[in-house]
Formats: sequence, structure tokens, C-alpha cells
Amino acid sequence: MYAGRQINRRDFLKMSGAGLAGAALLGGTACGGGGGSGSGDLIFAMGTDTSGTLQGLIDKFNKQSEGFKVTYQEMPTDTGAYFDKLRTQFQAGGGDIDVIGADVIWPAQFAANGWLLDVTDKFPKSEQSQFLPGPINSLLYDSKIYGVPWFTDAGLLYYRADLLEKSGYSDPPKTWDEMQEMAVKVAKDQKIDYGFVFQGDQYEGGVCNGLEYIWTNGGDVLDPNDPNKVVIDSPEAAAGLAIEQGIVEDGVAPQAVATYTETETDPAFLGNKAVFARNWPYMYALAGTKDYPDVKPEMIGVAPVPVTPGNGLASTLGGWNMLINAQTDMPDEAWEFVSWMTSEQAQRQRAISASLLPTRPALYQDKEIRETIPVIVEGEAALKNARSRPVSPYYSDMSLEMQEQFNGVVKGDISPEDAVSSLQDSLTQIVEAGQ
Amino acid sequence: MTTASTEKKRRGALREEFGNPERRLAYYMILPSLVIILLIAFFPIMYSVVLSFTDSTVTAFGSFVGIENYVEMFQNPDFLVGLLNTVIFTVGSVTLEFVIGLGIALAINRAFRGRGLVRAAVLVPWAFPTVISAVMWRLMCQDQIGVIDVVANKLGVISQPILSDNTLLLISCILIDTWKTTPFMALLLLAGLQTIPADVYEAARVDGANVMQRFFRITMPLLKGTILVAVLFRTLDAYRVYDLFWVFSGQQLDSLSTFVFTGVRISQLLFAQGNAASVFVFVTSFLIALVFIKVFGMQTSTEE
Amino acid sequence: MASATTTQGATGRGSINAILFYVFLVLFVLVSLFPLLWVFRMSTVTKSDLLTSPAVTLTASPVGTSYSTVFSNPDFIQALQNSVIVAGTTTVICLFFGSICAYSIARLRFRFKGSVMTIILAISFFPAVAIIAPLFIQFTAVGIINTYWAMIIPDVVFALPLTIWILVAFFRELPRDLEEAAKVDGATTLQAFRKVIVPLAAPGVFTTAILTFIHAWNEFLFANTFIFDAAHYPVTVVIPNFATTYTTDYGAQAAGAVVVTIPLVILVLIFQRRIVSGLTAGAVKG
Repeated sequence: MYAGRQINRRDFLKMSGAGLAGAALLGGTACGGGGGSGSGDLIFAMGTDTSGTLQGLIDKFNKQSEGFKVTYQEMPTDTGAYFDKLRTQFQAGGGDIDVIGADVIWPAQFAANGWLLDVTDKFPKSEQSQFLPGPINSLLYDSKIYGVPWFTDAGLLYYRADLLEKSGYSDPPKTWDEMQEMAVKVAKDQKIDYGFVFQGDQYEGGVCNGLEYIWTNGGDVLDPNDPNKVVIDSPEAAAGLAIEQGIVEDGVAPQAVATYTETETDPAFLGNKAVFARNWPYMYALAGTKDYPDVKPEMIGVAPVPVTPGNGLASTLGGWNMLINAQTDMPDEAWEFVSWMTSEQAQRQRAISASLLPTRPALYQDKEIRETIPVIVEGEAALKNARSRPVSPYYSDMSLEMQEQFNGVVKGDISPEDAVSSLQDSLTQIVEAGQ
Repeated sequence: MTTASTEKKRRGALREEFGNPERRLAYYMILPSLVIILLIAFFPIMYSVVLSFTDSTVTAFGSFVGIENYVEMFQNPDFLVGLLNTVIFTVGSVTLEFVIGLGIALAINRAFRGRGLVRAAVLVPWAFPTVISAVMWRLMCQDQIGVIDVVANKLGVISQPILSDNTLLLISCILIDTWKTTPFMALLLLAGLQTIPADVYEAARVDGANVMQRFFRITMPLLKGTILVAVLFRTLDAYRVYDLFWVFSGQQLDSLSTFVFTGVRISQLLFAQGNAASVFVFVTSFLIALVFIKVFGMQTSTEE
Repeated sequence: MASATTTQGATGRGSINAILFYVFLVLFVLVSLFPLLWVFRMSTVTKSDLLTSPAVTLTASPVGTSYSTVFSNPDFIQALQNSVIVAGTTTVICLFFGSICAYSIARLRFRFKGSVMTIILAISFFPAVAIIAPLFIQFTAVGIINTYWAMIIPDVVFALPLTIWILVAFFRELPRDLEEAAKVDGATTLQAFRKVIVPLAAPGVFTTAILTFIHAWNEFLFANTFIFDAAHYPVTVVIPNFATTYTTDYGAQAAGAVVVTIPLVILVLIFQRRIVSGLTAGAVKG
């Protein structure tokens, strides 16, 4: 069966040739290109592994697997560039990747185009319940599931416990008002440049930050019961963005947060220039290292992102899933690899060696993990309340609109009310285009 | 379309053209380059033109929709902002580069020590990869560690971070491009200046022409050809600005090319509009070149 | 500097002018080079100094950690090698086809010369971003995606017009009588081209080679689009991506930028005169 597809593909390649771009585009979409190099190797794509532990894990898998080996194909570190490459490859017929390490915002976009293998049969509800609900939700499209959660991530509020204590605060803030008040006071008392820093740049991270303000004020982007209904134009959502804008306008955060990504957040907070920071769990491990010697781990604390009273905790879900190319020649082998990599054992090993947060709640009780990644203990509430960004086959376009509006709000160019009402229009158009 | 007789005549002319061995050889010599260009560039361009008249998406070829994409494109605020930014950038940077470049060319149009060194020093920014220089300039304009942002704020030249203000971003892009390309412009103009024989100036001086008169009556007219070529090349290059905006502004600043890139490569809904925009850039570039050739009387070097 | 006045052989007023002139020159050179000097400074401080403030960056004691980071990164070394291969091959191909084509345009008489030149130049008007999607499909179909050819081929297409344009200008400058003499002696057009024109044009061809090489060395868009694995990335793609999953390593970026600029600086220093004549050839000969 697979041999047949290979021949088809070769013939197709010969027929199209160079220059026949039109035919190739149509053909490419219709027949697809078979995955797999035919050499019995399974190709696994994932962004650069800066922890250096991924290859070891793959080697371990290869040692115990029978009949096939997994090869790691390194992709760009930058998530946007990685997505771009995958999408271009899929458009051109699938490429030779079999298993994909994918950001949580990608599955719906790939699945809607038929590029992913539906694994609903192999991954029943009973199995899914072993995983955190947020990551599972990111994999659902059209009530089918397209992969398995691999590791997770969520927005956290970092604070300088030492400085807070000096100014007479024993606990981190629970609400946005408290946070701003404390930030201003502590920054003044302790002569720190900024009260608070976050990611307000026009990029995906800016969307993650903006959504947290909306959610923690009771707003939302899409109706949870009807993913085709845009509900962002609400007083709650506007109030959330108004807080984000106010934080910059009142000088709690520097104007430059409108250009901040994670890269600028680290040196501001860990360089002793800010009292509070909103960032992902990874920043915890950087404290006290040789790049940031001034702020030691014992000086910082982690709490859930503040809320406006009356609303539940909410953090933006990040993290990665494992997906399978619909055109793979080795679906069973691919599944074997995916289940092995996402198993309790492999996740545990990766958590301990690379500080990547597991997607199985059971592992959050593991003593060794709690010792290795202290942020898990303090950030547990936030991690378990992580919410996924709108699941839509047109998420890229939604994100572009939100990036622009949220960044405009942070800069003070767009009022929160205008931002939500223009998003209501543009997102509705996008949802309609997707139907 | 053609009558039989003109058809015959044309065929005769063609036979004469290709029958002549030297002419045939000329075509053979051009053929490889032409084939490469047509195969790799021309088909994709034509394909973009076709796509711009359909409602195609990234994944599916659509049906013919006439000029709908163009109409929607002109109603899209991102496109309009991109167009405006591109025009401001092009006019601003080319004007600055030309004025400063001409000044420098006039100033160094003489023999002096260290001339080679000056030439080498100014060529370095030009040879520096644009994308990497954009990364470096962004670092230097960053609010915490960027030398330019910090110094400019201290001096009171600006009162807000450069990277979070679209006007400052656009101005910075113009200045960065000026930094990178003025030396190039100056060297082009200098080479032009050196082809003007000294005795022309001498004669004018004897006739009592002052500095200004000599500049406007002699230098400018004689330099016209060089200026037109240099300015046209720079204009067309600036008009397609992509990597500087994309990398330096962290994707905050729109240009025509970033609009095309977003449509074709990132958005799933603006694909056809992105193709329409690329055709727009292509056609308007052509018009710009045509204006230079027809209105300003630029000589293309193909004319003998 | 002082000796400048003697070369000018100037009077008192002349020497003030000369000093002003040199002050102006020094300023001009400084403005041109300042960003590069600053980047060099950024590449020689520790990451924590770099991240503190510009003042600290300026005064910190120099260290080589960023350089050991980039040189211990096998991807960076590989990328340098890839850039050389891609830019080198592009240059050779462009010169081969470009010089044949340019000779024909500059020297031979034929009817559709104007149209040919228009087609060639038209390519340089098109935004390269617009053809990456169709090109991607073509390259995948013929199986050269994610290979050096996926960079070399589009680089050649976009560099060829430049190559041809400059070479046409160079070939026009060559004296016609030598060739005519060769033809009178019984040489064919091709022999005349090979025996007379090629040696005479060598300097011009060489200049064009440098320009084409720099053009290809600096290319980013195609490489960023058509290449998927680190084994084939050129430096222009690797440097902006000196990053971990969340953050960018500024020091390593600066060090990488310095390393890729050095070959260009050397090329420019040695061949500045030729480069200038190459750049101006097309523009000045109208």
C-alpha cells in the first residue's frame, strides 16, 4: 500500500517538473506527498533543543524499538519561523516529516487542512483524562483529537519576595489593583526602576499577555459553548485591556514594554530593575546564574497572574504537543513513538533533566520533580488553570489582528473599547471565512 | 489579427534575423541566461498574477473573481499604511542619500591622502548583510541596553522608547538606510563627477561664472545621467524594502513587501490579496522606471 | 594628518580648509563605522554587563565568551561553510552565463536586444517575497528543497541581472578594434570572445565576481524559506536565530555579526578600488 503511494508520488514529481507551478500547487494539494524517506527511519521535527536532552531521549527510544529508528530533524528555535516552515512544507505536499513537535496553537490550523492524522481511536477519552485539560483542549478540533500533549507552559506572576518583605508585604498580590499599588510602593521604597514588566510587543507573546487581562476580568474571545461566536466586544474584555493600558499609562510598567518580548523581560526582572514580571516558568531557572548574578532564586517568588475580584484564575496556556503527519508512511510506528515520548516515564525524565513541565497531573506530586523544578510548587495553581488560546483553523489571522490591537492598547494608541469592538468585527469576519 | 501579407513579411524578417549566423549566435549566447530567468522567475511571477485574480487560498486554487482582490486590498488599512510607509521611506531615504551623497562626492572629488581608506570604510556598511545590520540596530535602539535609545533620551532628543513608536521606527528605518547606502550613492556620484573634464570648469570660471552657477549650469547637467541611474536603482530598491522593516521594527512597521509576505506566508485569508499586492509592487516599480526613462530622459545602457 | 597640508601644497587659508576637510572626513568615516565598532564592543563583554546598560557595556573589561559561544557552536561553523559554498557557486554560475549573455548584448547586433534587456531588468523589479510560495512548490516538485540548490538557483536569478548589467558596461568599454583584428585574422566570434575579450575583461569580470559574491553572501529570504535543517543554513539565517526557546543571546549575535563581517571587510579593503569601479560602471556610462 505504501509502496503504491511512493510510485504515485514519483510519477507525479516527474510529471510536474519545474515551471509547472500551477499544476504543482493543485497536484500537491490533491495527491499530497508521501512522508517518510522509505529507509525505515521515522523523522521527528522539533525546534532546537536548547536543553540538550532530546537527542538522549530519542537514542533511548531507538535502543528499545524494533524495526525502525527515529531521526531528529532540527527546526528553527523561533516558533513563528518553525510554524512557517511546517506550513509551507505541508502546502507543498507534506514533506518528509512523520512526527511533529508542535506549539499548542497549531493543531486546529493543521487539522482543518487535513494535514494531521486523527488519533481519536488510539487516544480514547479514558486516556485523555490522564492529561491536563488545557493541553488536551488545544488538540481538539471538530470533536476529534489530533495528537498528545507533550509538555506545558503557563503565564506566571514573578515577584521579588525580598523587596516586598522590606516594604512590609508578606504575600504576593491577588488582584491587579493590589499588584499595581504594591509595585509602585516597592519600586519607590527600594529604588527600583520599574514596578512591573510584561510582554507587550506585537507578536504572539503579546496576545498571551493581552488574553490574560481579558480572562481575569471575565471576558473571552470566543463563546466557550459555540466556537463560531465571537464575544470579545464585552465590557469585561474592555475592562481587562483598560487595566493593561493603565499599567503602562500610570508608569507602573515602562513605556517600552510595548516592545518587550521574553528577551527583554529577563534582564529587566533578573537584572534588579523590576519588582514584578509576568513570564513563563523558564525564567525561574535563570535566577542567580552567571548571566544574572544579582537576583538569586531565594529572592523571587511565583504566583498566579492577578485577577479582578470575582473572577477565577487564568493563565495563557503554552507548551508543546506531538502530532503525526497525515501523509506518513509509518502511522503505527509514529504512534508508538508518540506514546513512548509522552508516557509518564519519559515526561518525568524530561522534567528532571530539562525542567520542562509535564502534561500529566500525576507527575505534579512526584517528589523528585517538585525538588528539581521549584516553580512547579508555587505555580501549580496557575499551571492547572491555564487556558488555551482560541482554537480555530484561522488562528494565525486571529493572532495577527489581536497582536496589532493589543499592542496598540499597550502603546496607548487605541482605546480598550475601540480595540475590542474592532476585534469583534475582524474576528467575526475570520470565523465566517472559516465556515 | 494580422493580414496574410504582413504575416508573411514578419516571417521573412524573422527568418532573416535567425538566418544570419552572427545574429543566431547572439541569441544562443543570450539563451541560457534568459532560460534560467524565465524558468525560475517568470513563471512564478505570472502565477502570482493569475492568483491575484482568483479567490485562491494557500491550499486551494480558487475561481476567477476579477479585480475583487485589488478592490479589497485598497480598502485594507494595513495595505494603505504599508503603502504610505513605503512611499515615505522611499522618498525620505532616497532624498537624504542623494543630498548627503552628492555633498560628500563634491567634497571628496579631489586627490587626498587616505582616499583608499575612506573608500573602504564607507563600503563596509554597504557590504554588511542587511538582515544582520537590522538585528544590530534593533539592539542599539533597545530601551535598556541600547546605546542610541539611552543617549537620545538623556539628551532629550526623544522622550519615549524608539522601538514602541511607529513614527520613530519609520524615521529610524530611513536613517539606517541612509547610513547603509549614502556611501554607495556618494561613490556612484563621485565616479560621475570624475568623468567631467576639468577644462569645462576652467572655461566657465574664465567667463566669470560663480560657484553656484558652475554647479547648476555644468555639474548638474553633466551629472544627470549618473544621478538618474543611481536614484532609480535606489528608489526601486527602497520601494521593495522588506528585511529592514521586518527585523528592525520587530514586525511592527508595515511596508508593501511585509504586507505581501504576511499575506502569502503567514495569513491564511489574505493570500490572494498578498498576490495582488505583489503584482501592484511589480507594476508600480515598472511605472517608476518608465517615468525615469521617459520623463527624465534617462538613457538605458542597452541603447547604442 | 599634518602632512596633508604639504600634499595640498596650500597657503595658510588652504591649510585651514584642509584641516576642516579632514575633520569632515574623520566624522564621516566615524559615523559610517560607529555602529560596527559598537557591535564589536557588544561582542566582547559578558552577557550580564551587556544587559546592564550601555555605559557598563562601554567600560566593561573585554572577554571572549561570546566568541567561544559562536565558535563552539557547530551550527555556526557549518553555516559559515554553507555561506561560502552557496555564495561561491552562485558567483561562478552567474559569471559563466552572465558574461556570455553580456558579451552578446554589448557586442553583437540583433533585433530583440531591447526586449531581452527589459525582461532581464524587469526581474529585478519584482518583490522576491511574492514568488517564494510558487518557487517552494517548484523546488519541492523537483526535489531540491532543503538543499544548497534551493538557495543557489534563486540567488542566481536575482543576481544575474546585476551581473549582466555591470558586465555589459565593462564589455562596452573594451576597444573594438582588437576583436575586429582577431576576426580579420580568421577567428570566429566565439574565438574572438575567448582569446581577446576574456583576458581583457578579466578585471571587470573579477569586480563583478566580488559584487555577486557579496550579494549572495547577504541573502536571507530564500535561505530562510527553503531550508529546514541546520546542516544547510547560511550565516544570515543562523545569526538572527542565536536564541534559546524563549530568549535571544545578544552577545553571540554580535560576535557572529563580527565574524561574518570580517571576510567582507577584508574583501572590501583589498578590492575597494575595483568594487567602486564595478558599482559605477553601469551608472556612469550612460
